[in-house]
Amino acid sequence: MNIRFFTILILISLMVSPVSHAREKELNYRLKWLFNTSVAGDIWADANGYFTKAGLTVTLKEGSPEKNAINELELGYADFGVASADQVIRALDKGADVKVVAQLFQINPMQWIYRTTQPEIKQLEDLKGRTIGITFGGNDETIMRTLFAKAGITEKDVAIVGVRFDFTPFYTKAVEVWPVYRNSQGVILENRLAKENESVYFFNPADFGVNFVANSIVTSGKMIQRHPGLVTDFLTALLSAWESAMDPDNAASVLAVIKQFETGADDNILRQQLEATRKLVKPASSVKIGTIDRAAWKQTEAIMLREGQIKKPVQIETCLVTAE
Amino acid sequence: MLFRRIYQFLIVYAIGLSFLMAIKKMAGLSNYVIPGIPLILETAQNVALVFFHDVINTMSVTVLGQCLSIAMAFGVGIAGRKSSWAGSFIKVTAYNVQAYPIVALAPIIFILLGDGFVSRLLIASMICYFPLLLSVLGIMSTPVNDIEHFYQITGRMRWQLEVKIRAFENLSKITTVISGSATLAMAGTIVAEFIAANAGIGYSIRVALYQSDMAKILIALFMIGIIISIYQGLLETLGEKIKRRWSVADKGEI
Repeated sequence: MNIRFFTILILISLMVSPVSHAREKELNYRLKWLFNTSVAGDIWADANGYFTKAGLTVTLKEGSPEKNAINELELGYADFGVASADQVIRALDKGADVKVVAQLFQINPMQWIYRTTQPEIKQLEDLKGRTIGITFGGNDETIMRTLFAKAGITEKDVAIVGVRFDFTPFYTKAVEVWPVYRNSQGVILENRLAKENESVYFFNPADFGVNFVANSIVTSGKMIQRHPGLVTDFLTALLSAWESAMDPDNAASVLAVIKQFETGADDNILRQQLEATRKLVKPASSVKIGTIDRAAWKQTEAIMLREGQIKKPVQIETCLVTAE
Repeated sequence: MLFRRIYQFLIVYAIGLSFLMAIKKMAGLSNYVIPGIPLILETAQNVALVFFHDVINTMSVTVLGQCLSIAMAFGVGIAGRKSSWAGSFIKVTAYNVQAYPIVALAPIIFILLGDGFVSRLLIASMICYFPLLLSVLGIMSTPVNDIEHFYQITGRMRWQLEVKIRAFENLSKITTVISGSATLAMAGTIVAEFIAANAGIGYSIRVALYQSDMAKILIALFMIGIIISIYQGLLETLGEKIKRRWSVADKGEI
């Protein structure tokens, strides 16, 4: 009897959702990538006490390709996270309880870099005959296949090469068109090639009508239901920090904070990365950071449905929550 | 022996899957975190054949790598069996290098040699080489006095005969270490593919990980387990056949 009672007690305590204790414990915020300029607003918020002023204790956690914020939301390891649209839509397709509360990048940083010694890609058909790098399993693969489908390009018309984080195939010209995040690797490669007197173009899918939504802030439906005030406080603090971090007047201070995490980075490169991030997060002064582009989300869902990445429509518009 | 290996693996896999389903049920997790059985079966229909080819690809690298390292281990082990300075040097080097996690060198090998077949082969053979070498060194350095004594006394001992005697007397140990090194070679190849290859089941697992697709990962694990169980079973069966063929009980024929 006693053993049975204690077993049930232990099982119940293990099953109690950690969300119900959100206010009594630290909030964990899982980012999508490492601490660098693309998470400038998040680092700025943490360093300048934006969360503390809002009465919150937030732990910022670095992301990586192996870490998934949506998994962590469900498992209770994170209360908020950053995920890309394809991650969110895939999760919804599999029944995950995830809501988008803000969209950080208004323009997707996922682009392709290529040398100016090659003809400029002015229309999608110009992709034919090129050796194009894609990260199999990544959202760049989905974007590129959408572009192919849009232009009627088959795999016989191009040479697709699976790539990783090692730039050697691009340096050796084995791969002509290389996927980069415009505001991080794009800047690094552009500068490195400039040292060799080589200039580059950037191929931006958005210029060809493919708007695939990038990093957005997510949380669980349960969190919004049980602690709406907490979600509002967190978002208000975070988005204020992002507005401040993207203010050109604060650039020097923001860079100083980022340098604490990227100790070996070149100042000039960091400055350029921050500038590039600003253009993607706040493309115009009238744009409010965090604005959710519903049309782009619906297009992203349509692309993934067409590519067979999801089995059925997920009604993404019902999961986009505008903060009050 | 082969069937025992297979059904042992199936039992372990079923237990693992049941454990995952129990966690899914208890924690109320969606298919995104832990896929249900219907989703796993559906995904299996889509990717099982592709993953099977990937595992065979990995296995081919593993087997070749293992054969290469067996040949090298025997060559070096036989050369190093003596107590000369060369033999001592080989023994000390093998013991020291064996302590180093060879798979940590994988990124350097991929940078220098690219992510093709040669890099994976090199890593697979390096992974199982040192444990094999140590075992072969131990076997070849230990005289079998009961048998060797006669040949030593009559001056008819040759290095070929010495090697044959020691190999024959330690056949069980040799087949066990070769069979064990198969798992090591497979694990090393998969880890290498996971780090930086562009083919094989390790690469497919990495892609599935980036997509957070646990169903694909579970199917990949199933394929790996089945194939490695069959391979180890075949190695053990082969080892038994060789032992029986060389057995004194078999009318003393060698």
